[in-house]
Amino acid sequence: MEYKCPADSLASASTIPLPAGLTLPLEVRVHGRGGQGGVTCAKLIAALFTEMGLHVQTFGDYGSERSGAPVQAYTRVDRSAISNRNKVYRPNHLIVLDEGLMGAQVMDGAAAGSQVLLNSRASLESYAVRFEHYRFGVIDATAIAREQGIGSSSVVIINTTILGAYARLLGLPLSVLERAYASLGLAGDLPAAQQAYEQVHVSEPVHGDFAPAAPAASPSPLAVRSLIAHNEDIPASLKTGSWSNQVPIYSEHSAPCNLACPAGNDIVGFIQALKNEGADKAAAILLRTQPLPSVCGRVCPAPCMQGCNRATFDGAVNIRSLERWIGDHSHTALAPQSAAQRKRVAVVGGGPAGLSAAYQLALHGHAATIVEAGPALGGVLRNGIPEFRLPHEALQRDIERIVTLGVEVRCNSRVDKVDMKRLQLEFDAVIVCVGFGPAHTLGAKGETLDGVEQGLDFLDRMKRKRVVLHGHVVVVGGGNTAVDCARTALRCGAASVKIVYRRGREDMPAITDEIEDAEREGAQILPHRQPVEFTGAGMVSAIVVAEVGAGTPDASGRRRPVVTQNTSTMVCDKVLLALGQKSELDLLPDGWTMRDGRAWHGDRTLPVWFAGDCATGDGTVTHAIGNGRRTALAVLNGDVLPDEAPAKRVAPGQIRFSHFDVTPPHKDDQTARPALTFDEVNLGLASAEEAARCFSCGHCTKCDTCLICCPDGVIFRTADGYRVDGEYCKGCGMCVAECPCSAMEMQEKNGVAA
Amino acid sequence: MTVELLSANHGAALAATLAARANRKGRGFCSGVYPITPSTECMEYLCQQTIEKGRVIRVESEHSAMGVCIGTAAAGARTFTATSSNGLAYMFENCIAAASLRLPVVLAVANRTMGPPWNIWADHSDALTLRDHGLIQFYCADNQELFDTVLCAFRLAEDRRVLMPVMVNMEGFILSHTVAQTDIPHQAQVDDFLPLTDIPHRLDDVPHTLGQIEVPHQTEMHRWQHHNAMLDVLQIYAEIQKEFEAAFGRRLPDAVVAYRAEDAETLIVSMGTIGSTAERVVDKLRAEGQRVGALRVRLFRPLPTEAIRAHFVGKKHIAAIDRNIGIGLGGVLWSETRCLADPATVMQDYLAGLGGGDVRPEHLVKMLADLVPRRSAGAPAIMEAV
Repeated sequence: MEYKCPADSLASASTIPLPAGLTLPLEVRVHGRGGQGGVTCAKLIAALFTEMGLHVQTFGDYGSERSGAPVQAYTRVDRSAISNRNKVYRPNHLIVLDEGLMGAQVMDGAAAGSQVLLNSRASLESYAVRFEHYRFGVIDATAIAREQGIGSSSVVIINTTILGAYARLLGLPLSVLERAYASLGLAGDLPAAQQAYEQVHVSEPVHGDFAPAAPAASPSPLAVRSLIAHNEDIPASLKTGSWSNQVPIYSEHSAPCNLACPAGNDIVGFIQALKNEGADKAAAILLRTQPLPSVCGRVCPAPCMQGCNRATFDGAVNIRSLERWIGDHSHTALAPQSAAQRKRVAVVGGGPAGLSAAYQLALHGHAATIVEAGPALGGVLRNGIPEFRLPHEALQRDIERIVTLGVEVRCNSRVDKVDMKRLQLEFDAVIVCVGFGPAHTLGAKGETLDGVEQGLDFLDRMKRKRVVLHGHVVVVGGGNTAVDCARTALRCGAASVKIVYRRGREDMPAITDEIEDAEREGAQILPHRQPVEFTGAGMVSAIVVAEVGAGTPDASGRRRPVVTQNTSTMVCDKVLLALGQKSELDLLPDGWTMRDGRAWHGDRTLPVWFAGDCATGDGTVTHAIGNGRRTALAVLNGDVLPDEAPAKRVAPGQIRFSHFDVTPPHKDDQTARPALTFDEVNLGLASAEEAARCFSCGHCTKCDTCLICCPDGVIFRTADGYRVDGEYCKGCGMCVAECPCSAMEMQEKNGVAA
Repeated sequence: MTVELLSANHGAALAATLAARANRKGRGFCSGVYPITPSTECMEYLCQQTIEKGRVIRVESEHSAMGVCIGTAAAGARTFTATSSNGLAYMFENCIAAASLRLPVVLAVANRTMGPPWNIWADHSDALTLRDHGLIQFYCADNQELFDTVLCAFRLAEDRRVLMPVMVNMEGFILSHTVAQTDIPHQAQVDDFLPLTDIPHRLDDVPHTLGQIEVPHQTEMHRWQHHNAMLDVLQIYAEIQKEFEAAFGRRLPDAVVAYRAEDAETLIVSMGTIGSTAERVVDKLRAEGQRVGALRVRLFRPLPTEAIRAHFVGKKHIAAIDRNIGIGLGGVLWSETRCLADPATVMQDYLAGLGGGDVRPEHLVKMLADLVPRRSAGAPAIMEAV
């Protein structure tokens, strides 16, 4: 602290008058704990007396102890220069920052009539009798400072607050305090000091016989043993754990990737397992929630990567491709449990939600039967996503893992209203996972011309039997289906492919990487345009598109498209519509309704549940998988399971970046990009090394940083982690501060998180 | 002048800063620094200052910190660094180099016990290891004295008759971390007091190796010249005291500070802050009718033997208090000064405050109670500060 005052203020022209009744020389002793700011408190007191034109001297009793250790600081005040170089043994004023310290050690040397100021929540009365021979003040400075937000989020600093109470004890008027804080550069803390000034309770000393407190213990020091015996000496004799008011605990926190995953995958868990134990161990964790790792590792939009704490450091961990690595390189499957009471459940629809639901049922030991309208399982995965993004073998591998668990499959069985009733009677429960309804149409003139086709039908057709396209293709829409259509059309020989989208390029819901791939492959994106007419004689030959302006923002914050009168005409030979699908269910028997993911007959629930897009409309494979799993568990449980309250999210600021080397992400191998064939474009990662980049947010990696950083050496390895020796831990918090991945926190000793 | 509330560490750094700026029209200032408790605050403060034509270089060790000072001092800059304890030990080799190359480096030492076992508190065992290598040594007793002595150290070190490093010692924590009012002169006053650094053997444009090999006779003579220059410091310091008083209006304490010593029968001789405590004890015992005085050796190298001898004359008892121990003999202050006492004087050595113990007036009273009945001196005795 640097504080300037004019030289002549020492003589007489002081800014603050001496309080009446102040006797000099004065000795003040401050008792606190390491980290509470006791030394600064003593310095502030010195500065206050400097304002009165007095000589001061202030110093701390420095030790090797750290946070939490009992510490002292001193201030001497006199009219002339101070030559005393000793600690303060006979204090006139005692300031105690932590009431846990109150005792003979603190009161040592304080004569009757000395002034004591204590920071405490307790009332003055609870101390008045015991300390009746002292002028005794009590103030809850901690509460005031906390309320005023002085200090950091974890440590409240009370020295500027308690100085207000001290000024009152000295009998200084409030105006003096204001002036002093202004000149000390502490104006910001004045409200807290004022509050303490007003709230401090003081009892006057009782005069009469005074039995001084018992002298402080340990006047005779322990015999010092030979240095040769030091290896069996000192450390054990001082139980420093009693100094702490908070202790470190190991506690798991939620990684942002885990919180972001719609499927509920334990991402940190499987990546750490991949890093430490290989793909099979990682699969054992991943397969608990994810029946389709090879699929999701290719087609998931990966919200986990957007949340990754590494994103702001050197790039998000390539989580999607690590999942793919595990799916493609593991040779393990989970064994089904045995259920006490085996349920028979029909799952209508063999898309991602249905597969996930059936998988979970089978894993839990129940009998699942998938009733699928098409000739094979997979739904949109089989007939929607093109081969160059999701090869048949990858899908087949994931599906076989599910079927092998003992799932019964009935293909080519479209379920109608009558079948629904039958299934409900035949099975203990039914889960309907039929996905979206029919595709949206544009409603534009000429939409029924030949050559105008629904994109989903086109993709399905191309997967069954590829045909060669000629001429110019226009795709309408901005989602993944639109992009898939464009890229498929290019591969089928289209002379040109244009994607017409009514909003901006940045608004396209398709995966960004896929959009970029499409452009790289030759597709042209025409944003802010909408077809208003298709023309041609029987066969479409041109398309009229209107420019689209931006209107007012809708509920999602995106601006509503406003179709203008500015139109232009493009020649085309084929139009593919990818405008999304309707949420329509045509298999509910009369009298049935769908509410909260269940079927109702009147106000009675039926054992029929809905999962995936037909229930939620979320629209991604990963959401469908998550919802399928949760619905299956709800069926087994009889009701929807309440979500577990997630642990505290680990923010980037809680990661100790300094513990990690800057390592750019391992990119997927796309160098062998084939020249527009249906071979897979993205070959994934070349190795699993990317797993080593995971920060393991909120989850202990047993990296030993805590053990190494502990200044007292009281952290020990155990079979499953670490143990902190509470008898010696001073609660300094260094382990928590240094934990690279925020897998620890400080806890107050009464059990409250600090 | 302004009065600032400063720790002695910050005071030393501020004095160095003022001296640094005073050389702005000359060849500037340079400091190599490396932190160690309890001197860290000094280098921290220095690092925060804006120094026109000056640099503070944070290096990787104390050895390099002094290396920076040696190189830049040889190039003609004003130089300063600070350290403590084992940091000084690590700097040791280069301290001798700075001294033997006759470079005017100023070194502030926050005295701390040598480890291991590790101890962060004050004793003089660190600085005294450099007793015999041609560095001037001051031991200070309060914040103002420390500040003034650092300013004076630049003047002394750079005097063409001196040209050697000056160590200014303050006991760790007891002085280094104690905050008290300190009179700070204006820059113009410092500019007037400190001439621009101008050493005769400054490296010029021609590259030149310092300290090449010597034959025995050269070394013999160089040591002798160094010794004689060191002895001259006693007289030169007295001159600088006068100029300091003229410049700043206050007097630098003498090389040896006597307190009510003239008519004393018993004398307490000590160094550093124990000297202040001794003066308090003298007042107390004088009030009780005892003829006690105190002598504080402020300048330890060169040792002001004649001044000390003059104060020792006729004393019945002398207590030497050593905050150090020369293991195998006894206290260093005692062993250096006992030959200066009259043969009839009983001069007894008391080792006190080793490892940083708080040496209190009652300890000194106890020593005198032990000393006064003695008719002959005994072996050095330890006074445990508990």
